[in-house]
Amino acid sequence: MRSFINPLFAVLLAGLLAACSSTPTEEDTSATDTMPTDSQSSPAEPVQRPAPAKPDTSNIPVTADNFHNHPSNYDGTTDTKVIYFAFDSNTVPAAAFETLRAHASYLKDNPNAKVRLEGHADERGTREYNVALSERRSEAVQKFLRVQGVSSSQVEVVAYGEEKPAAFGHSEMDWAKNRRAVLNYTAGRP
Amino acid sequence: MMRVLAFPFIVAMLSLLAVNARAELLIQITEGRTDAVPIAVVPFAGAGDVPENVSDIVRADLHRSGQFKTLSPKDMLSRPTSKEGLSYRDFRVLNQEYVVIGTIKPTGTGAYEVGYALHDVARGKELLSETYRPPESQLRDVAHAISDRIYEQLTGIPGAFSTKILYVTHNRGAERPYQLQYADADGARVKTILRSREPIMSPSWSPDGTKIAYVSFEQNGLPKIYVHNLGSAERRVVAQFKGINGAPSWSPDGQKLALTLSKGGNPDIYSLNLNNGDIEQLTDHYGIDTEPRWMPDGEHLVFTSSRSGGPQIYQLNVDDKSVRRVSFEGAYNARPEVTPDGRYLVYVHRRNGSFNVGVQDLQRGTFDIVTQTNMDESPSVAPNGSMIIYGTQHRGTGVLQAVSIDGRVKVELPSKEGEVREPAWSPFL
Repeated sequence: MRSFINPLFAVLLAGLLAACSSTPTEEDTSATDTMPTDSQSSPAEPVQRPAPAKPDTSNIPVTADNFHNHPSNYDGTTDTKVIYFAFDSNTVPAAAFETLRAHASYLKDNPNAKVRLEGHADERGTREYNVALSERRSEAVQKFLRVQGVSSSQVEVVAYGEEKPAAFGHSEMDWAKNRRAVLNYTAGRP
Repeated sequence: MMRVLAFPFIVAMLSLLAVNARAELLIQITEGRTDAVPIAVVPFAGAGDVPENVSDIVRADLHRSGQFKTLSPKDMLSRPTSKEGLSYRDFRVLNQEYVVIGTIKPTGTGAYEVGYALHDVARGKELLSETYRPPESQLRDVAHAISDRIYEQLTGIPGAFSTKILYVTHNRGAERPYQLQYADADGARVKTILRSREPIMSPSWSPDGTKIAYVSFEQNGLPKIYVHNLGSAERRVVAQFKGINGAPSWSPDGQKLALTLSKGGNPDIYSLNLNNGDIEQLTDHYGIDTEPRWMPDGEHLVFTSSRSGGPQIYQLNVDDKSVRRVSFEGAYNARPEVTPDGRYLVYVHRRNGSFNVGVQDLQRGTFDIVTQTNMDESPSVAPNGSMIIYGTQHRGTGVLQAVSIDGRVKVELPSKEGEVREPAWSPFL
């Protein structure tokens, strides 16, 4: 299923909304606060604030439905090597963007590095059709990297369908863990 | 499991066969026809020291087809071994419609003489009588040939007891977890063709039964299609293009493989000429086209395509490349197979989240689900069109099951080791 909102825009919008949602107080020591320090006055308009610190996600429960987009799966660096996907989808989740940008930077800085994008699907449905679905997932990651300027000679795509699961159970969460693309560096590991 | 207890003799006998043959496939019938034909296969004379119990194999074959209700020898009033000793009355009182008697004796040169006769109890006459002289190594084959002849005599359809099933097994934790194996249709004489650290998929028989094709990721984790000669154990790579190399399917004349390649940027169906290596692109659509199967006329293919959104079954004319949709029920139809007479399509259909095997009658335009298991996949049709074997899950483990084309007979093949999947029923051998 295709999202109709550009994921990048959604992230920006969320950031802006978060910035505008809090009201200033006397204790606020924000450097760009242009409010008078007189506690009797109230703000005439929202204050310009720097972007908030990375939100604390430890209290958002992980479910099979949000697993692919849960920030706890992505640390924003090349240490994270697995990108997850929603059911029936090959859209790269927004939570993975920073991680993929880190990989893109690494690949551009290290022309000898090569990465194999290994696509996977959950076990439901027929096997060869799942191979094709999993190729679409690798290709989505490949496209993201290419848009970031990575040379196509550094990226290879392989599709495993449901043949190499990461989780061997048959629950929704197992399936969520298997819908993935893995960045497997075959040369010049970060 | 309750039904297994109803046939203790059969289970015990099959276990014995399994131990002798080190089989990994154990086959039990779980649901037969209520109008199954009663037949008595009397233990053959002289069976004592013979390494294979021919009459036991025949009895098990007929039972496993679900078309026959076989009488246990311990319930027989007499055990004739010749026409002279046969009392039809002894079998008529037990409501048997047919009786099979036979003898087996060594010829003194390492071979055996196996003779049998099929009798019609009600009419009190012999229908069929034959003698075989196999070497010891072919005793099981003769038993299955006798089953085939009896089956055909009584049903009009050639028996498929002399066929083989090719399948993939997966043993998590083994050094080479993926294996490609084949066994007799009764689960005996398992042979391993390939062991690999990387996946093996989509095994497929050549129409003459001498070769198989399959996908193996053994080379550097990348998929290639192999053609493997079973007799010589020689094999060669026939497709190793960039991207997907998948779903090989032999043309009826054995000269071509239809397969899925994504080297053009998208998974499409191609035809590969096995003699000269030429490939021809058959579909060209931005959707996913995969899982091709030839129709018996050699001029059409059926395949899975997502061109209308989700996977559905389409038919392609190989000559003019025209495509028309064939499946119309539900949102997910994939992995088509065709019966040998070209009349039925067998494929995986999803309904309410459950994946089942369905049969579409191309003549009448009807569609019926024939399985009640869940997570069904990879159907394969017997060469006589009578049964469908497929992969499914039992208590979370991959197993094979079989069902008759009309859904009335169910056969369970519980796995003894690891997971079993992707069965491919051989042609007549």
